[in-house]
Amino acid sequence: MIELILLIGALIVSLIIVIKSADVFVDNLVEIGAALGISQIILGVTASAIGTSLPEFGSAMIASLSGSTDIGVGVVIGSNIWNIAGILGITATFAGVIKTESRDLKRDGLVTLGTGLILIFFMFFGDIGRIASVFMILLYLVYLWRLIKDQKKFDAEEKVKKEKLVEFDSEKEFESETKTSRMASIDKKKLALVCVGLGGLIVGCRILVYSGVELARIAGIPEMIMGLFTLAIGTSIPELVVTFSSAMKGLHELSLGTVLGSNTFNILIGIGIPALFMSIPVEPLSMSFDAPFMIFVTVLLIVLIKTGGNKLNRTGGLILMATYITYAVLRLYVLA
Amino acid sequence: MYEKILVATMGEYMDDLIEHTVDLLHGRDAEVICVYVVETSVPFLTPKKVKEMMAEELTERGKEILVDMEKAFTGPDYSNIKFKGLMLEGSPADEIVKTAEKENVDVIVMGTGKSIVDKHLLGSVSEKIVHHAPCTIHLVRTA
Amino acid sequence: MLVIKLNLITLHNRLKLMSEKMFKKILLPVMGEYIDELAEHTLEMAQGKQIEVIGIYVIDTSVPFLTPSNVKKLMKEELSQRGDEILANLTSKFNTPSTYMINLKKVIVEGDPAEKIVEIAEKENVDIIVMGTGKSIIDKHLLGSVSEKVVHSTPCSIMLVKTVN
Repeated sequence: MIELILLIGALIVSLIIVIKSADVFVDNLVEIGAALGISQIILGVTASAIGTSLPEFGSAMIASLSGSTDIGVGVVIGSNIWNIAGILGITATFAGVIKTESRDLKRDGLVTLGTGLILIFFMFFGDIGRIASVFMILLYLVYLWRLIKDQKKFDAEEKVKKEKLVEFDSEKEFESETKTSRMASIDKKKLALVCVGLGGLIVGCRILVYSGVELARIAGIPEMIMGLFTLAIGTSIPELVVTFSSAMKGLHELSLGTVLGSNTFNILIGIGIPALFMSIPVEPLSMSFDAPFMIFVTVLLIVLIKTGGNKLNRTGGLILMATYITYAVLRLYVLA
Repeated sequence: MYEKILVATMGEYMDDLIEHTVDLLHGRDAEVICVYVVETSVPFLTPKKVKEMMAEELTERGKEILVDMEKAFTGPDYSNIKFKGLMLEGSPADEIVKTAEKENVDVIVMGTGKSIVDKHLLGSVSEKIVHHAPCTIHLVRTA
Repeated sequence: MLVIKLNLITLHNRLKLMSEKMFKKILLPVMGEYIDELAEHTLEMAQGKQIEVIGIYVIDTSVPFLTPSNVKKLMKEELSQRGDEILANLTSKFNTPSTYMINLKKVIVEGDPAEKIVEIAEKENVDIIVMGTGKSIIDKHLLGSVSEKVVHSTPCSIMLVKTVN
């Protein structure tokens, strides 16, 4: 009993360490990148693409390397199902609405769907090996490049729009233009913080995976379940807070973008990079149920948004939440 | 812009409410409906006699208030205003919201209500009405 | 009862003396929605007289625990840019020949919207705040409402413009 409580405590503490470390790591890395003269756009897009997903990646990576590949795959697929059905469901239900631009939905939604199908495709051939791995990583780089290109285009459009605004608004100064890359010297403190963040991420993920594995053993449940639910939901806390608070503030692009971007990253990098080091075995049930369900919720999301006139409303949110509960019940009680 | 105004009053700050109402109209034709609600809810176990007495007392007070309001709004300076007094019974917030909806008024004029301490302890009719927001609401600073 | 009677004696005199101009300084918080309605009601208050309107946009900086700091920064930038746009839009509404009497001052601040609105209303000593009635009832229960919080601790009169059906 005491062991159980200690393990749950370790799970929670390590989760907070992982999430905070990921934040410190990305944040300081961006600052160093800026000091090195890397474009703000590239840094911004990359940081927001991987920032919230580092906990999933870290725990999937550590789990796979320490031999618990089931947990690794579970975290990735579980997170993806939770991100859409759970997080977007909760957010849309409480915030009332998540809006999207047709263009963004097309890009991010289809990419998310596509990466899901690619994962299933590779799963057909049994274990996920090095060829699949390289393909997925390259695909992610292409996606990232595309994101950066879109952002550049968007920034250029914004600039034009701003210049038009100036006509109305002559008294207003635009300080944003003066924000040119200040070539600050690389701060030793920032470098140290990057190392601290990375260290915290590794150690935190190690404890997280360990307590997850041990908990599964004591409670007598499969590791896969542990990964699919406990770790997947835990490591997705950053997505939850970002998606929810940005929807509340009316920053809808960020809201949906966080979830879809995270799902793409989880598959292509969360499975892609561990597969570079070792072949990832595919469990029959995740092939026949979890992965297809992940595709199903992605399609469901796109359909809900499309039928709701490019937005996810409260009804859609409730449908998504009900879908997640159905999934959890089926997976935990019916198929177990 | 405002053709039908509901003025909710409990007998306090009447000059302020009248002043704001007149200012909203600035001489244009409008119907002003003055509402006083006799609050009939009493704590559990209140003797029936006491309840009746309270209702009577409040009705009496309501009449006086509405008469005063009518006087205030029917002077020669206010030929533009068509006055209507209305006395209701029930929960003040509910009745005011209901009347606003039924009469399809453009704006409700009322006080901001009690001080913050009182609001926490007693709840405020104004806040309840704001919560339901049946139409535009003009809250006159009173506390 | 006595109080009311006494009030009424002075009432008629007071109404006649009443200043032609009750609202000299209006605080107009904008969130980006219903700007047309809010501007219309503000103009109505002005009634062709010279008034000062303070258009305010509050950047809501609160984020949940564990929000990555770069996301927090991004949100803040995004919102402050939106604030600029909204206030510019407001300026264009009050920049027409028929609104010459409105003297618009723009303010962008960071913090909790309701708190900041009340704080600025106090500091600037405004006569009235004009804002929307806010969200639908379901949303109010789930999220709370800035308007209701402002009503709760208001230092002055408030005009709540009906914005939701």
